[in-house]
Amino acid sequence: MTSPVARPLASAPDAPDRSSPLDAPSPQARRPLSTALAQRVPAPEEATAMAIPADKVEMRNISFFYGKFQALHNISLPLYDRRVTAFIGPSGCGKSTLLRILNRIYELYPGQVATGEVYLDGTNILAPGLDLNWLRAKIGMVFQKPTPFPMSIYDNIAFGIRLYERLPRSELDDRVESALRRAALWDEVKDKLRQSGLSLSGGQQQRLCIARAIAVEPEILLLDEPASALDPLSTQRIEELIAELKVDYCIAMVTHNMQQAARSSDYTAFLYLGELVEFDETERIFTHPKVRHTEDYITGRFG
Amino acid sequence: MPAEHIIKSYDEELNRLSKMIVEMGGLAESQLAAAIDAVIKRDSELAARVVEGDAKVDQLETELDNLAIRLLALRQPMARDLREIFVALKIASDLERICDYAANVAKRSIALSQSPPIQLVHALPRMAQFALLLVKDVITAYVEHDSDKALAIWTRDEELAGMYSSLFREFLTYMMEDPRNIGTCTHLLFMAKNIERIGDHATNIAENLYYLVHGTPLTQARPKGDKSSLEVVAPDRAESR
Amino acid sequence: MQLYARRRLTNWLVIGLSVLATGFGLLWLVLVLSTLLINGIGAIGPSLFTEMTPPPGSSGGLLNAIAGSLAMTAIATLVGTPTGILAGTFLAEYSRGSRFGEVVRFVNDILLSAPSIIIGLFVYEAMVVRMGHFSAWAGAMALAIITVPVVVRTTEDMLRLVPTALREAAAALGAPKWKVIVMVTYRAAAQGMMTGMLLAVARISGETAPLLFTALNNQFWSSDLNGPMANLPVVIFQFAMSPYADWQVLAWGGALLITATILVLNITARVLAAWSSFKQ
Repeated sequence: MTSPVARPLASAPDAPDRSSPLDAPSPQARRPLSTALAQRVPAPEEATAMAIPADKVEMRNISFFYGKFQALHNISLPLYDRRVTAFIGPSGCGKSTLLRILNRIYELYPGQVATGEVYLDGTNILAPGLDLNWLRAKIGMVFQKPTPFPMSIYDNIAFGIRLYERLPRSELDDRVESALRRAALWDEVKDKLRQSGLSLSGGQQQRLCIARAIAVEPEILLLDEPASALDPLSTQRIEELIAELKVDYCIAMVTHNMQQAARSSDYTAFLYLGELVEFDETERIFTHPKVRHTEDYITGRFG
Repeated sequence: MPAEHIIKSYDEELNRLSKMIVEMGGLAESQLAAAIDAVIKRDSELAARVVEGDAKVDQLETELDNLAIRLLALRQPMARDLREIFVALKIASDLERICDYAANVAKRSIALSQSPPIQLVHALPRMAQFALLLVKDVITAYVEHDSDKALAIWTRDEELAGMYSSLFREFLTYMMEDPRNIGTCTHLLFMAKNIERIGDHATNIAENLYYLVHGTPLTQARPKGDKSSLEVVAPDRAESR
Repeated sequence: MQLYARRRLTNWLVIGLSVLATGFGLLWLVLVLSTLLINGIGAIGPSLFTEMTPPPGSSGGLLNAIAGSLAMTAIATLVGTPTGILAGTFLAEYSRGSRFGEVVRFVNDILLSAPSIIIGLFVYEAMVVRMGHFSAWAGAMALAIITVPVVVRTTEDMLRLVPTALREAAAALGAPKWKVIVMVTYRAAAQGMMTGMLLAVARISGETAPLLFTALNNQFWSSDLNGPMANLPVVIFQFAMSPYADWQVLAWGGALLITATILVLNITARVLAAWSSFKQ
């Protein structure tokens, strides 16, 4: 299955020709400047630093409707495995909407419809007969406001596990501990697992939600502005956590904080009014984006 | 297409940065022009003023560095803005070097004016005028953010380097003809080298300007017209003259 | 300073009026309570809780009435609360935005403010006449019908207060809707729902009109739910209107008892609320 966005460097194929007159004259733009030697050094392949990433999720021709209002227009983009992809854009551009398509959480609300296909490892997850439990076990989600359940910390984590498996107590304990360790929360809560999840601080609650999501061992994590309700220190902890987690998961993150997208993500998609304006490596987007509109947004020339 | 930042003070600070570059550029031009003048007119006082004037440029460069650091820390610039600040830092450094070289030329002209004039001195100002024009044009190109002009300047440096090579040979010949000229010619050699370096720095500025506008560096190798490093002096050739 | 002085004056004026109004309202409350206390305290004693309602002229207590009230209230709560919770859940979780849900809510609101005598009349027609006799079952049923709309209302309100993000978080883990409701939403709204239930109980403990038509009254101890059963409100009604002094004293005692019970229930509800939020 050929991907319409085959190389990581290509911009979205459906974006109208908005390439600016500032385009680079040569594709091998990274070649060092100096000297006669330049001819002999082969141009470094873009992907040698990190091996060419695999497509984990492929979104094709996605459109989304809130009743009659079309919120997303024909979006296609990939999510690569073991990478963080950030969705940025001004308020109301559809980035959260796009994220919520991936685990079909929008189906909780009547009148919200998605069209197009989303291929997860080759399976179209928007197909009508799909087992939603299977889907939601594979794709975890963390929300903007920390939402610990009104139960003990232990039960919070065990909630998801108990939905799918019947485990003996000791094994369940291990799973809970492992999830809390991976979320960098174990040391802080190991003595108070029986306390209510609501007794934790904001940053801890958010990490609890992340631990809860990874306890069911998903393959993909969806983060909807995970740090926007947190103070700067907690935000940094979450970002560090994301950096640790991306080794094992494919992560898609919505953020309205551009610096956070620049710091934490490998790929960035810029959306505006429901359309994908540009999708590229984060480094490229923030140093020299192809589309003028993108540059205007990230330099604060319009909000 | 919006050209201004939502936060106005950001635009003001970036403009200040630009203005400082232009001011430094103006100083570079005037310093170099005055140095050439001092050589032609053998005016030691003018030369001394040029040497003193170099301090002002150094001060400007420090100010510009500080402003750039401040912008980097406080504004988190991206893309175009980041390139603007980064390139401003580099151009300031190049301009400061240009002014240094102009001051060196002025300093040496004081020594020159104390020896009897030789005819070869006239070749130098011609080369210097060419370099001055390069500097003038590159500053204009910066103000206009014109990368085509930058490219043109980039190619003209080759001509300057060629001038230097031929001057080098002439000075060598002169020195071999009459050892009494060695002192003067050596000064002239150094001055010519300084002017050639001014041309190089002007070319640097042009390259940085291109990067600023396009976001990608110039890929071609810079043409090196300076063959002087390969020059060999054979004594018997001189004697046969 | 003119403006400031005028504003301060207005401020004091309005505060003064508010205090007066509050005082006025509280005054009557205090009068009622103190009248109850003064007149009823004489009847409070062990005999109130151990002896049956006496014929006029002899001493006695209110044991059968208390027992009857307790029984009917308990049955009404057992029947009405689950019904109310389920209906409230339906309204809050399953019918958002639907026409049907709006209709149900509307009907519920009407029932909520329906005069209890109408409900009593309805149960009289539906049960008492059919069965041919008064009964505690009918009484309990009437009270249950009064309980349901209260519980529906509070349940729906409390469930609506639970943030949608919480539901989405549970759904995103893969929980089916009913599990989301039972294991997450109910737990989040538990304390509010409990308060609602307590308030409903407080409400029905004092209802007289429906019981007049349904359970009537019973002078003697009866554990037969199928027949008329004594209950506090009707006993009070009967004894207070009578010319016998000892009956009247007992009536005051009963009134004081009901008031005290409602007070205790309300305080419990508030303590529960405070305790849960303290825990968090």
